[in-house]
Amino acid sequence: MTNDELITKLKTIIEPYIQDEVAFKTLSEDTDFINDLKVNSANLVDIILDIEDEFNIRLENEDMEKMLDVKAAMLIINTKLKA
Amino acid sequence: MVGNDIVDLEEAKFTSHWQRPRYLEKIFTETEQQLIKNCTNPFHVVWRLWSMKEAAYKLYVQVNPSQFYSPKSFECKFEFENGNVKYKNFECQIKTSITSKYILSEARLLDDRMTSEVIEFKDKTYKNQSAVLRNALLITLSELYQLSKEDLKFQKSEFNIPTVLCNSVNIHVSLTHHGHFGAYAI
Repeated sequence: MTNDELITKLKTIIEPYIQDEVAFKTLSEDTDFINDLKVNSANLVDIILDIEDEFNIRLENEDMEKMLDVKAAMLIINTKLKA
Repeated sequence: MVGNDIVDLEEAKFTSHWQRPRYLEKIFTETEQQLIKNCTNPFHVVWRLWSMKEAAYKLYVQVNPSQFYSPKSFECKFEFENGNVKYKNFECQIKTSITSKYILSEARLLDDRMTSEVIEFKDKTYKNQSAVLRNALLITLSELYQLSKEDLKFQKSEFNIPTVLCNSVNIHVSLTHHGHFGAYAI
């Protein structure tokens, strides 16, 4: 999967939870889920479970700890997919 | 220093699905999961524990500036309106208020009364809610310190930790919103 394909999939997962449309439209690898997209922290776990389902992977505590931005999410997904 | 967190119960019902597989094990310890399983109102206990963890996290990052997502590592205990959260060697005391519409928790290093002021929003837009909440906070602070609102400056650190700059002194504050409710504490 290319990075663009991965970002497209991530955007579909994140969209229901975002509260800042402008930041979502200009989403890049540096976009932060809580600070930029204003995702409520209570919904971050919904995003994590959606990622697990979409990519058929399991995220551990130490993966979740770093899941704060698009870049970190991509790195974690790619690492799990290669494992 | 203070950390607070509010959960709009209507909003939680519709946007978070705590009954979906793996949800509880992702954010709650074994002990907390047992508590949820064996209680009469799991919906309330789930959101009570969640608001305690969030309030404690917001206090923790004021003491130790950082940003991370590790709700499971914040271990909660509660009895009546009092609670206690432990994370590594950090420990704080929690007060929780539960109404038919929301659950609100407030974390302090030492046991204290709840001071959060709750606001019910007419508007669900994040930006408008944020502006209303900050404005209410600044009005309260200006009355408290007998200063004009223009002398107070709301700011957020690189880790998204809010403070209000007041005559070159940084005052720790905590703000929270969810659904139709928000709250601030000083």
